[in-house]
Order: sequence, then C-alpha cells, then structure tokens
Amino acid sequence: MGTSLKDKAERKAYWFILPSIICMLIVHFIPIIWGVYISFLDLDIYTLAQWTSAPFVGLGNFIRIFSGKVAVGQKFMRSVYTVIVYGLITIPVGYVIGLLVALLLNRNFVGRTFVRGIILLPYITPDSVAYNVWRFIFQARIGLVNKYLLQLGLIKEPLIWLVGKRALTAVIIASIWKGWPFACLILLAGLQGIPPELYEAARIDGASPWQQFTHVTFPLLLPVTKTLLVLNVIWNFHAFNQFYILLGGSPGDAHVPSTFIMQEAFSNLHYGLGSAMSVVLMVIVLIMTVIALRIKRGASHEF
Amino acid sequence: MNFELKKEMMQAKKRRSGRKLVKRTLLYLAVFLVLFIILAPYMWMVSGSFKTSLEIQAADVTRPHLEPRWIPRKFTLENYANVNKTVRMLDYFRNSLIISLGTMFFSIVISITAAYALSRFNFKGKETFALGVAATQMFPGIAFLIPYFILFTFINRYLGIQLRNTFPGMILTYTTFAIPFSILMLRNFLDTVPREIDEQAQIDGCSRFGALFRVIIPLSAPGIVAVGIYSFIMAWNEVLFAAILTGRETKTVAIGLLEYITQQQARWSGMMAACILVSIPVLLLFTFMQRQIVEGLVSGATKG
Repeated sequence: MGTSLKDKAERKAYWFILPSIICMLIVHFIPIIWGVYISFLDLDIYTLAQWTSAPFVGLGNFIRIFSGKVAVGQKFMRSVYTVIVYGLITIPVGYVIGLLVALLLNRNFVGRTFVRGIILLPYITPDSVAYNVWRFIFQARIGLVNKYLLQLGLIKEPLIWLVGKRALTAVIIASIWKGWPFACLILLAGLQGIPPELYEAARIDGASPWQQFTHVTFPLLLPVTKTLLVLNVIWNFHAFNQFYILLGGSPGDAHVPSTFIMQEAFSNLHYGLGSAMSVVLMVIVLIMTVIALRIKRGASHEF
Repeated sequence: MNFELKKEMMQAKKRRSGRKLVKRTLLYLAVFLVLFIILAPYMWMVSGSFKTSLEIQAADVTRPHLEPRWIPRKFTLENYANVNKTVRMLDYFRNSLIISLGTMFFSIVISITAAYALSRFNFKGKETFALGVAATQMFPGIAFLIPYFILFTFINRYLGIQLRNTFPGMILTYTTFAIPFSILMLRNFLDTVPREIDEQAQIDGCSRFGALFRVIIPLSAPGIVAVGIYSFIMAWNEVLFAAILTGRETKTVAIGLLEYITQQQARWSGMMAACILVSIPVLLLFTFMQRQIVEGLVSGATKG
C-alpha cells in the first residue's frame, strides 16, 4: 500500500516537470543532437528544400575546418585563437579591477551604499545599449577616445578603432567596462563573509596591510575566485554580442567563433559547414568546462 | 623638558592626522575615478541624445572648433520626438514588450511547477533532470541556433505552424532560455518553505496542485517576482536569436537599435535617444528588485 502511494506521488512529479522537459527538448537537446547529424551533410540553401537528399559528406566539413589550406579553416582557427586571446585579457583584467574596487567599497566612506548601487549599472545595462554607446565612443572622427588621445598628444592622427587591427582592442576595452562589476559584486560578497577577528589576529601578529591581504583576504576569496573563473571560462566562448554590435556582422580578422559561424551559416548559407563548426565549438566548451570544474573541485577539498 | 615633550607629541599627532587626511583624500579620489569610469559612457549617451544630428555629423576631432563636446551646442528634443520615424523604434518597443511579458508569464508557470517537483518529490531521474537543467546553461547559443532555425523551417513545412518571426516562436525560445536559472533559483527558495505547510494544506483537503496554488505560491511570491523579472530582462536583452529569428513584424529593441547605422547614414543622436528608451524598463525593474536579484546571483556563485 505504502509503495503504491509513493509510486503515485512519484508519477505526479513527472507531470510537474513535463513542460520544462518539452521546452528544453525542443530548444536545446533535439537541435544539438540534430546539429551533429547536419554537420555530416553538405546542407546549404539549395539542398535545404530537399534536405533528406542533401549529400552526406562524412567528415568532409570537419576536414575543411581543420585544414590550414582552406580559407574557411584558416578563418575558423583564427576565430578560436581570437576568442582565447580575448578571454586571456578580459578575464584577469576584469577580475583585478573588480577586486580592487571591491576592496575599496569594503571601506567606510560617505555615500558607500550609493556607489555600490552605481557600480551595478554596466552589469544591468542591456548589451545592445552599452555596446552601441561604446561604438559611438570609438568612432574615428566624432568619438571621445580619439578626442582625448589627440588632446593628450598621444596620437597625431585620429585612429580607426572598429575596423582592422585595433578592433579587438576596442571590443576588449568595452567588454572589461561591462564585465568587471559582476566580479566586483561577487568578490564584495566574499569580502563581507570574512570574519573581522581574522584581521584583528593578523594585526596583533604584526602583519602589514599587504601581508593581511596575501595571508587572510586572498586565501579566503579563493573559492569565490575559482567559481568566477569557471563561469568566465565557460561564458568566454559564448562571446557574441560585444563583437556583433561593436564591429557589425563581418568583423574581418576580429571574428570569434560565434560571429564567424553565424556569418557562414546565415550570410553564406552553408548550414552543414556552420553546424560542423558549432560541434567543434561545443567540444571545446565541454573540455574547458571539465577542466574548470576539476580545478574548482580541487579547491573545495582544500577548504 | 616637559614642554618639549608635549610639543613633540603634538607634532606626531599632527603628522598622523595629516597622513590620515592624505589617505582619506586618496580614498575619495579613487571612488570618484571609479564613478567617472562607470558614468562617462552614460553621460555621453545622454548628451548625444540631445544633440542635433547635424552637430554630430559635422563633428571632427582634428578641428578644435568642431570637436565633439559634452554639452550640446544646440539643445534639441527632436531625437525623442522622432523616435518612431526613421527607425520604427516604438513598434520594436511594443514587440519587445509582448515577447518579454509572454516569456515572463510562461517562465514563471513552467519553472515554479518544476521547482516544486524538485523540492518536494523524490522521483527516479531527479538528479538527471537537475543535471540536464544545469547543463543547458553551458551550451553557447550558436551551438544550437543553426539546427533550431532549420527545425523552425521544417515545422512550418510539414506541420504548417509558422514559428519564425512570430511572437509564440520567440516566447517559446526565450522561455526555454529563462527556465534553467529560474528553476534552480525557485528550488532554493521553495526549500526554505517548510514542508509541514503543504502537508497541512493536504490534510485540509487540498490536492497537490491545490496546495501548490493556494499555499506555496503566495508564500514564495518574492522568489516568483525575482524570476519573472529575470526572465523579462533576459528576453529584452537577447541579441543572437533575435538577429536570426525575428523579422519585420517581431523585431525586438536589441536588434532595432542596429538600424540607426546603415551604409549610407549614421544617426547617432537618434540612436542615443533610443538607447535611453530601451534602458528604462530594465533599469526600473532592476531597481525595484535589486536586492533579491543580487542575493540570488551572489548566493548562486558563493555556494557554487
């Protein structure tokens, strides 16, 4: 009797989760599995109409992606390289700025609550708004950046920021501006969780402010730091909005995988090739996630 | 002797308070620097929205008398008055409102039931389900955009249901994007509501669904509001899927903003006014729910 009642309750649970399962199947899981299948096809706008007869090319798409001799392969490899460079700069710089400001906001001063509210602004501003404003700021002839660089005498001629070799730098600057408040928010919460007695004890032992930071503050922020790192490493490969909005649909050398796949699939209408690149990107993200979680789990053993 | 000592002590005190003053000054300077870096782009946005398009077009950083200025040379409200003229921003605003409100509604309904099941039932596959929910957060959007787009094409061809460039299609997409975080957040919230309460409701003759609707939902109102606002903001801000799946009839504000810059013309002043318009709902909702959303984010990251 008891078990049958429990079975009944158990069966009811499936009704409760069914809508969410249907949604996730339609939007996430079926497309991802299907995408793997499409990546073996030479599916483009012509074969889309008769998609069952789209030529099966096996690993053909993947071979093109990984070959350094084909333009698509070179460009895709370059986009992966670009997003890694982008992450290697934005993640540490964003973290350091976030940490410095969190330490600053952890002190007492007039208007602290107000300033804490203000630092959330870049984080909550829609990407489309923030990056369009930065696009305006980086304009060569009418932009703020060139105005001040010229005034300070650092450059003689207005620089072109959003096309060519400086495009990545511009995106990195705008992304750091938008991204550090999140790190700051999390680190500030971490700082507030550190018991004041620890600093008291460190001071009695004669620790300098720097020693207090390296021996108390930083070690106690390590778990939060690792969580931030895991999130940022995974999100880094999602990078799309900042490149798409600041640089437009075809950022040239500053393509990241998301923008390049989008262009290949929806402008050049090579769905099969685009899917193959998506699969490669997924595998990269999976590997990075596993590595990041390993590092994080290592941390939780220590603390 | 005594006098000398006193004098020295006074000087030391002065030095110390002098050093303290320097420290305070540095602290406030740092705070102002942070504030300036954050606020400068917003000030530039506001200033740009009040400039005439002629002033921005004529600006030139290399010529001192034409260089871009913080204070508009001539104040104008034309950018706000013409917000629906060259780019149909108000229409996009309405589209975004429909899609975001729809997403908000379905995301709340779907995630509260799933969160209730996770919090209150023990069932086979519970861990797998929770893992699947969390895993969706890892996939980059581009990884399923292509097959999802093709799926829409086939659903249209074989079932005759148009999903691309329709409100239901966009609401389905964004609802699914919103539910993983919503489910996990509401589950944490429901775990804090004591189980005795739903048992009590069931003794009083409520069914499971009845208990959920009459007792649990009112109790978890703050969590539900937070999830709703999160879903609204997510749908309002999304770019990648909106760029591919929306068209003339359903274009959202995030994509509409890009229309101000074309090959022929750059309408920066109009775009800045539109940017302010687009930010308003998000800023309002966020200030309304700031505490809950920040707490949710922080607890998610610190519990990790």
